[in-house]
Amino acid sequence: MNWPLLWQYTGANALLGVLPAVIGLAIALPLGVACARWRWFYVPVLPLTTILYSIPSLALFVVLIDYTGLSNATVIIPLTLFSLCVLVPNVVDGIRSVPQPVRQAATAMGFGPLRRLVRVELPLAVPVIIAGLRIAVVSSISLASVGQLIGVSSLGYFFLDGFQRDFPEEIYVAGAAIIALALVCDLLLVGTRRLATPWSRG
Amino acid sequence: MSFLSFAWNWLKSPAQWHGSADIPIRILQHLGYSGLSLLVAALIALPAGIWIGHTGRGGVVVVNVANAWRAIPTLGLLVLMVVLIGFSALAWLVPLVVLAIPPILVNAYEGVAGVDPGLRDAARGMGMTGWQSLRKVELPVALPLIMLGLRTGAIFVVATATIAAEIGLGGLGRYIIDGLSQSNYAEVAGGAVLVVLLALLVQVIFVILRFLIVPAPLRIQARSDG
Amino acid sequence: MITFDAVTKRYPDGTVAVDALSLEIPAGQTMVLVGPSGCGKTTSLRMINRLIEPTSGTILIDGQDVLAANPAQLRRGIGYVIQQTGLFPHRTIEDNIATVPLLNHWSKAKARARSRELMELVGLDLAMAKRYPHQLSGGQQQRVGVARALAADPPVLLMDEPFSAVDPIVRASLQDELIRLQAELHKTIVMVTHDVEEAIKVGDIVAVFRPGGHIAQVDTPERLLGAPADDYVTDFVGFDRGIRRLSFFSADGLDLDAEAMVADGATVAEARALTVPWVLVLDSERRPRGWAASADLASLPDGAKLADVPLAPIGHTFRPGHDSLRSALDATVLSRTERAVGVAPDGTVLGVTTYERLRAAIRAAEEAADAQAATAVAGAAP
Repeated sequence: MNWPLLWQYTGANALLGVLPAVIGLAIALPLGVACARWRWFYVPVLPLTTILYSIPSLALFVVLIDYTGLSNATVIIPLTLFSLCVLVPNVVDGIRSVPQPVRQAATAMGFGPLRRLVRVELPLAVPVIIAGLRIAVVSSISLASVGQLIGVSSLGYFFLDGFQRDFPEEIYVAGAAIIALALVCDLLLVGTRRLATPWSRG
Repeated sequence: MSFLSFAWNWLKSPAQWHGSADIPIRILQHLGYSGLSLLVAALIALPAGIWIGHTGRGGVVVVNVANAWRAIPTLGLLVLMVVLIGFSALAWLVPLVVLAIPPILVNAYEGVAGVDPGLRDAARGMGMTGWQSLRKVELPVALPLIMLGLRTGAIFVVATATIAAEIGLGGLGRYIIDGLSQSNYAEVAGGAVLVVLLALLVQVIFVILRFLIVPAPLRIQARSDG
Repeated sequence: MITFDAVTKRYPDGTVAVDALSLEIPAGQTMVLVGPSGCGKTTSLRMINRLIEPTSGTILIDGQDVLAANPAQLRRGIGYVIQQTGLFPHRTIEDNIATVPLLNHWSKAKARARSRELMELVGLDLAMAKRYPHQLSGGQQQRVGVARALAADPPVLLMDEPFSAVDPIVRASLQDELIRLQAELHKTIVMVTHDVEEAIKVGDIVAVFRPGGHIAQVDTPERLLGAPADDYVTDFVGFDRGIRRLSFFSADGLDLDAEAMVADGATVAEARALTVPWVLVLDSERRPRGWAASADLASLPDGAKLADVPLAPIGHTFRPGHDSLRSALDATVLSRTERAVGVAPDGTVLGVTTYERLRAAIRAAEEAADAQAATAVAGAAP
């Protein structure tokens, strides 16, 4: 078991897993806000993200090779698109979950639309958004290992190596590493949610 | 030459359409592996999820499953099976089934557990037994989410079957994996296009199924929870 | 003052919620808009702070057209209280109340100090300042809603069915709080309710809406009860309006009988000398003790002390300077002796009323009210 390599590839896997979720969030927030605001906009956006999500990751990686070569981007871009399928509906649902009276009261007190979004709607949507982020991060971390099949390094390296050398220990360790990585990120997000929502305790 | 032109040229070529490992055969293989795995997963996960949702016991299990299963690496599971038991039907069936179970289980559970308690109350009040209430009231109402779980499971098995070509499985993934190892980019491109089309086709089938099976008033715009 | 000038609200599908409404809401008073569902009262209210925009017509607040000002700025000068409170779940009580001051760039310290001031004003325990809305009861939440609306000291306060979501006991106490607050603050309050009792209790002026967005009658509560404009208003105002109207006539107008009473130290003979069916017996401090029946007195020796005679209970008393004719009538109806005792604030007896005296007072009050309304109309007519 090549421990330094494991450590290195865990870091690579973490990057390949977390970055798509972060970029996905950056895209999903404005997109979701627009979808929540204009229903007709959501009508095409939702099926579009669902369609993208149904495409096997390997196929998408392969499609991108022509455009982004065999770099990290080839894995990050499809994973970002996958995370959108969870994040956009969660942003929309989160904003919609803000009670009507609260929204109306904010308007009536003189909050402009932007201020109301930032000070009232988004903070209250945080629990639902973070729930989506947890799914996106965990899925991306796991799927990133498939990128090894097109040569983009991650913990998937140990899966293939273990396969070729008939060495199950490697596979166990790498598998545990991925799961542990996913768990750590999940817990960090849960912690973030608790910090961001002091009113939901007690 | 761009990706699409590579793919197009490869797909046009008659060599792909005749012979023992041509496109129609691969498509059927892919559908076969996916369909069988989905069926087995459904046979296990549907009754379990429905039962847990109906009785309300074991909900803790489902919650933990829901959180943990997305972390399981597909590729890792596949290679592990082969390394442990060698290549056989079980080697690909088990991972595909294992990965398809969670979405089916979780959605079935949420579908049944999420039935308005008022409905359950009314059913019992009318004199229905638990079993009758399940059959006539809870299941129909839970149908959209159950269908959604199956659809998500289908997405997973089609994707996993594609990757399973790495451990020697047939199907459309073969083109991608073989093409990569032989640096035959045309084959890789062609295979990818076919996989995308098949995945979309499966989605269309589920949309049609949903239209046929789920009664109109219940056809809520439920989004993928996968 | 707020003026509606031929304001109409028509929706794209053709429904007319408000139809050429013209209404003047005087400054510093409580105007209640009341009517059945769908009569346009809430729509009218929400056009004042531009949550809904009129299709035609103008709304002026102190001469300024509401459509001319920047909406957000307009709303910061108008308090708004709704049935579901709309408190921000993610802010403490203190910060909820401080919302508009903070929007107006007050310092946090100053805004929070103001919050505490208002919490005391609406009767909230200061210990709740750091709590979150979901930790408070419905009645407490509604008080926070009112405090929040008053934080920036707006001259106008809009209330949309503010007390409908709480139970009747809490509702009554909140209504009392509002009346007390208004007596102190003199805001221009416009309140919408579907409960005509609430309108009559709380309002200085009441506007009764008809379905379709028209006004059936605008008047003081007493006039509404005493002279409803048509059958619709009569039905809407409800039963027993003659008796309910009596709440608006002070018991001051009663000519009380101060003679038919004796101290308990007096003798039976003195009591008998009064020749009334019931004699009020007082204690040494002129507080009422009970009623002595003349039939009982007849059978007792002259020299017996009244203190030893069995007495019928006093029952309910009323305070002429403070209570209405309705309270006096109610006390009389409840009394076994068909007489009620009027007392001063310190509990000493001022006099006794009977049905006869009540009748006279009621008639006088009604005539006075009608006459006053007639001169008001005459004065207003061109």
